[in-house]
Amino acid sequence: MDSGARIALEDVSHMYGKGALEKQVLFDIGTHIDGGEIVILTGPSGSGKTTLLTLIGALRSAQKGSVKVLGQELLNAGEKALIKVRRQIGYIFQAHNLLDSLTVHQNVQMALQLGGVTGRDAGDRIATVLQRVGLAEYEHKFPGELSGGQKQRAGIARALVNRPQIVLADEPTASLDKQSGRDVVELIQDLAREDGSAVILVTHDNRILDVADRILHLEDGRMKSLSEVVSEGTSRMLNLLEKHDPHSANYLAAFSFALARIAYADSEVTDSERDEMRRILHEVAKLEPAEVEFIMELSMMQKRARSGLDNRITNPVFDKDRAEHFLNSLYAIAQADGAVSSEELVEIEAIAAEFGLTQSGISASD
Amino acid sequence: MFASIPLGWLQLKAQKLRLVAAIMGITFAVILIFVQLEFREALFVSAVRYHTAMDYDLAMLSPKTDFMVSSKQFPRSRLYQALGFDGVESATAVYMRLVSWRNPVDPSNARNILAIGFDPSEPGFERLLNAEQVEAIKIPDQVIFDRRGRDEYGPVRELLDAGQAVSAEINDRRVAIAGMYEVGTSFGLDGGVITSDLNFLRILPTRKRSAIDFGLVKLKPGQDAEEVQARIREAIPGDVRLLTRREFMDLEIQYWNKTTPIGYIFAFGAAMGLIVGLIIVYQILFADVQDHLKEYATLKAMGYTHGYLRNVVLQEAVILAVLGFLPGMGIAHLVFTKGSDATRLPLDMSVQSALGVFVLTVAMCAGSGMMALRKLRAVDPAEVF
Repeated sequence: MDSGARIALEDVSHMYGKGALEKQVLFDIGTHIDGGEIVILTGPSGSGKTTLLTLIGALRSAQKGSVKVLGQELLNAGEKALIKVRRQIGYIFQAHNLLDSLTVHQNVQMALQLGGVTGRDAGDRIATVLQRVGLAEYEHKFPGELSGGQKQRAGIARALVNRPQIVLADEPTASLDKQSGRDVVELIQDLAREDGSAVILVTHDNRILDVADRILHLEDGRMKSLSEVVSEGTSRMLNLLEKHDPHSANYLAAFSFALARIAYADSEVTDSERDEMRRILHEVAKLEPAEVEFIMELSMMQKRARSGLDNRITNPVFDKDRAEHFLNSLYAIAQADGAVSSEELVEIEAIAAEFGLTQSGISASD
Repeated sequence: MFASIPLGWLQLKAQKLRLVAAIMGITFAVILIFVQLEFREALFVSAVRYHTAMDYDLAMLSPKTDFMVSSKQFPRSRLYQALGFDGVESATAVYMRLVSWRNPVDPSNARNILAIGFDPSEPGFERLLNAEQVEAIKIPDQVIFDRRGRDEYGPVRELLDAGQAVSAEINDRRVAIAGMYEVGTSFGLDGGVITSDLNFLRILPTRKRSAIDFGLVKLKPGQDAEEVQARIREAIPGDVRLLTRREFMDLEIQYWNKTTPIGYIFAFGAAMGLIVGLIIVYQILFADVQDHLKEYATLKAMGYTHGYLRNVVLQEAVILAVLGFLPGMGIAHLVFTKGSDATRLPLDMSVQSALGVFVLTVAMCAGSGMMALRKLRAVDPAEVF
């Protein structure tokens, strides 16, 4: 493995159109991606994630900033440089994009012959890669004879046969059902790990986000932090729940409050305890698995804040800036009803003490 | 099996119906080109049948004569003048005219036939008539008939072959058919009779013996035709032309090719075939490229160059050319065999013309491929995501 980042983006901006119709689709994107890393790129349609993927994939040349892929600068790169980079990348397409008039074997061979591999060697490698994706028996079938999941597997075999250092996948699960989608993503994950490839996976399928080592979120062409994305999505969904099914909302909230209390009581929660809690919630409280997970996550959020307290001496809960923002905001909130009462002051000081935050440099409001 | 993948062929093969339609279209175009070109060729070969069959080194004719069947006369003394030059061995006066022939079996049916008269004591017709026939035409009102003339002249061939005596009326004068020679028809000529100069003048009493249509000049062995031609031309007035064999034939061919619309029509027909083929192949290849745009974009995204895709389309074009050409050539050959019997024209496919048409077919397909390629330029690999 090389030491430098496989993909290095600095201040990447991109526009479509000319003159009055010019529209900027990417704003100052910067990130580094290393070998063996699986990065999921999410964002709503039109957020620019496909554009970013095509820039990294050398399918168009970069206009502004720096796009370095495998050491090659793609800013204003010519067709030759782009083609050279393309050959070192494995693409997995949304609609598999196999060549209909070729067999699975020949489709994979199309990728392999680009790398100059022919003869017996090629035959062995094709057989191996098809074995890995579980299509050994379908070698001489045409794409028209395969199911959606099998086609996507063939597409993956084609992308991976050259052992590329970078794998780019655009919505690889979009046309698949839940199980095939899951299988395909896990396959990409396994194979990429084995080969040590850097993987960028574009998706808005939330079900596969957990395979990522890192999640990049794009919105209107700008990178957004995960915390922002999660907060926005979760609060919106909670509002919806409140609006359309207030009874369930209350029920779930009550459980999460109660569970957090139980977690407070016993500061150590083991995995077996958690599994037991899940079982009880499902069987006794008659909750669906997804609802159980939701309650667990909500209560764990509170538990997480508490557990930070236990090792506050070695690891402060917040860094200095955040501690300052945290306390300032508490005072401001207390003052929102007109004046900060003495009870409120006492409570704030108690919280600050509990989280191990000093008040030095933070002037108490009067 | 592990050699590089013949993508063009595999793509053509994947759409069998389209492939068959394409091959049929090209086959049709190939037949059209073959037939038109071959008819054109036959026209030229047949137009100079007599030019080829007569024996001479230089031909003398009137400057007003632009093709054989409508010859104008010139003074016979000019031909005798030529006899006086060194290197000239003999000079034969030839009379020629279209005359009216009545069908010997059905006399109400009259048809024009070419009558040729020459002095049987002079050389020039050895390849057409045997010695016996030359003797026969010395007898008054006896002619030799072209056995390969059109059937409309009556069953002369059959009757003579059966040993019966045949006579027919030419320009209201009854003549006996004393034998047959073999030349064949052309676009301007359905058949012919050869006889002596005296018999010719009997059939055409208004013609003067001193006004001849052609003079056949034979040189002594080892003489250079062009050198003698130059010498004679210098000495005699410009009221006659003196041509070598090649020039004499070219004059006739030029007439049919350029002066009449016939040569042009066949060339135009061949061009139409080419254009029809071009359009068919273009349509097929364009549709094929159109259908595979997404796949081509995928290949580009994988790192294939534009040149590779261009070769795929050209590969398809050449395959179509070969697959369309072979049946086209076969059918054209059949058409020629049948057509040759029906028209008595020398329809025959030479290796050279087959090769020529093949090159034309490949060029046609490759040209269409090039046009279809313009669509390929627009393939943007970024579109596949």
